Amino acid sequence: MTSGQHLILGEMPSLSKLYVNAAATAARRRILGSHAAAVLPAVSHEVRDVRPDVENLTAYQHLLGETASDVLPAGFIHALAFPVAISVMNRDDFPLPLLGMLHLRNVIEYSRPVRFTEPLEIVARAETLRAHRAGTQVDIAVEVRAAGESAACWCGVSTYLAKGVFLPGIDKASATAAPQGFTAPDPTGLWQLGVDTGRAYAAVSGDFNPIHLSVLSARALGLRRSIAHGMYLASRALADVGSAKGDAFRWDVEFEAPVFLPARVALDISTAESVDGGWQRSDYVAWSPRSGRKHFSGSVAAL
Amino acid sequence: MPVDRQPQTVRKAVVVGGNRIPFARTGGAYTKSSNQDMLTAALDGLIARFGLQEERIGEVAAGAVLKHSRDFNLTREAVLGSALSPETPAYDLQQACATGLETVLGLANKIRLGQLDSAIAGGVDSASDAPIAVSEGLREVLLDLSRAKTLPQRLQILARLRPKDLAPDAPSTREPRTGLSMGEHQALTTAQWNISREAQDELALNSHRNLAAAYDAGFFDDLLTPYRGLTRDSNLRPDTSPEKLASLKPVFGRSLGSEATMTAGNSTPLTDGASTVLLASEDWADAHDLPKLATVLDGEAAAVDFVHGKDGLLMAPVFAVPRLLARNGLTLDDIDYFEIHEAFAGTVLSTLAAWEDEKFGRERLGLDGAFGKVDRSKLNVNGSSLAAGHPFAATGGRIVATLAKMLHEKGKAGGRPALGLVSVCAAGGQGVVALLEAYSAGTTAGDIHD
Repeated sequence: MTSGQHLILGEMPSLSKLYVNAAATAARRRILGSHAAAVLPAVSHEVRDVRPDVENLTAYQHLLGETASDVLPAGFIHALAFPVAISVMNRDDFPLPLLGMLHLRNVIEYSRPVRFTEPLEIVARAETLRAHRAGTQVDIAVEVRAAGESAACWCGVSTYLAKGVFLPGIDKASATAAPQGFTAPDPTGLWQLGVDTGRAYAAVSGDFNPIHLSVLSARALGLRRSIAHGMYLASRALADVGSAKGDAFRWDVEFEAPVFLPARVALDISTAESVDGGWQRSDYVAWSPRSGRKHFSGSVAAL
Repeated sequence: MPVDRQPQTVRKAVVVGGNRIPFARTGGAYTKSSNQDMLTAALDGLIARFGLQEERIGEVAAGAVLKHSRDFNLTREAVLGSALSPETPAYDLQQACATGLETVLGLANKIRLGQLDSAIAGGVDSASDAPIAVSEGLREVLLDLSRAKTLPQRLQILARLRPKDLAPDAPSTREPRTGLSMGEHQALTTAQWNISREAQDELALNSHRNLAAAYDAGFFDDLLTPYRGLTRDSNLRPDTSPEKLASLKPVFGRSLGSEATMTAGNSTPLTDGASTVLLASEDWADAHDLPKLATVLDGEAAAVDFVHGKDGLLMAPVFAVPRLLARNGLTLDDIDYFEIHEAFAGTVLSTLAAWEDEKFGRERLGLDGAFGKVDRSKLNVNGSSLAAGHPFAATGGRIVATLAKMLHEKGKAGGRPALGLVSVCAAGGQGVVALLEAYSAGTTAGDIHD
């Protein structure tokens, strides 16, 4: 993250303002037509001296099934950094429309436990604009450092898809192999997600994207019902893996069918141990016990 | 075919060390933390200190006095949330404020009998995140509703609800059989033993000064892990003075005939916190290259008939200690450190007064005269509950870990291992006391009765 411009924001951007601005941009582009170039802005956004609110941390930990310890859960840091990531995607020179983007994939490397008392520096930039069979995808890369440290303690890459958006100059992806059939294993867990799941996660993560909040707000954006936040689901799976994962781990998730609320979600977590019996990795997969469709899958592995 | 059974032998149970989180005044830093959160935090600090990650511990026992019904498996859930091996069994225990000390004694006994090689004792309480129950009226309506089958039945049941049924039922420190709060009970005892306001304030002052000095000396550095921004007990007032304590208005015993002497300064406040103690056999501690600070020698429980005032609610340890010491061939003069839990300054002072009283010794303790005098320079030398606070079930673990370290540092006294006495009073007129000794290989004072 050294090339290009570096923009230091004076404070953490407000997500609600960003969403309102994104809606206005969407409307403007619809009327005036899009003149977006097929290049990403060569700029990174940074916010310094970020101090997590401990009450918010506790509420997050309780909602996700984490113990309220002083260490920030990996998913909490994602939520903490999310406004910085969104601010990059909300730039006028960002070529894809922010609203309606789908979260395809997320990879996080958490290299040491970060305590809530440590002031953090968060840097985000967009990378690797590329084709997808259903549109255009982009990576938002985020690095989090403790103030005064040179190495990042947390790195995340979120891959988003702008469905149906094909930019000039970006070749259409060759048709990928048909998704493999999924046969559900025996579940190790079953989640009952109430209709308020999206609102509850919005309250602790600050992500008030309307598609998660209510049937009506989701319908306004073309969905039949509200859907659970992807990072809520992945973070609950991470909490289920538990303390076996130790202090440094890589956590990835691949999202498939969205979870419409309310829902029951079946989950399987399988653990791989080294010869001496120590934990090496846990793989998880979640599906709908009713339809058998896979919702998401991923892994947590020792770094 | 008969199996050769190992002969039942009694071996030593040692205190390896302890860990707690700083205690916080209610409504403070831990307001939103649950019992499970705090117990897990204390446990994870202990695990980190002694390298117990993924270790299968023989058994973990802990408890809470104020407990949500959802916390029926509180200790096991804390273990599952901790870095211990998930194959570590656990159970909950509840004996009011004696919970923590009783977990130590129960687990130490299992180690002594060879049933366990390692164990973690503990306790936690939150007065901030206290459970609130629905009223009896609403509870009965809800249960009946769940059994009703038809709409008319449901409506009939709902019609029984009265506005007063909607008022929640919060826990209190009121004794169920007397309706008096713990403070009011102690006020009766304090007056009965003629304990002065000045003596109570002086004990409170010493508690704050001793605890502050222990923090300043780094005594708690290996007994505590910070949590939610706290690095010291938030109730500690290092700068309190006799004048400040004297200026406080009495809060308990104001309706008694005699002068009210118990204030917020010489009574413990409601507190949130958790503590843990690692116990082991000598072999287990050696195999894991861990310290052996002290040996758990013996324990004794007592209860008093407080309901109609024969004895004070918190006076059970007055009876437990003479029995414990007699069984071990010891007197108060043999003890190097006294840890008498300061539920109220009046509790400690009433206890000491009863032991110094000739008539009480003869008539109630069945002795030839007074039980004896506690050397005040050996009492709560690193502070106690008046300064640290008292998250009910967490106090026993705090005291045992503190005392074990003190005994270890003292080593020998008068040619034999230093001895420490723990005394904890509890609701329901109960008390649990314990005898610990600085660890030394070979025979101990505890062997006298073995």
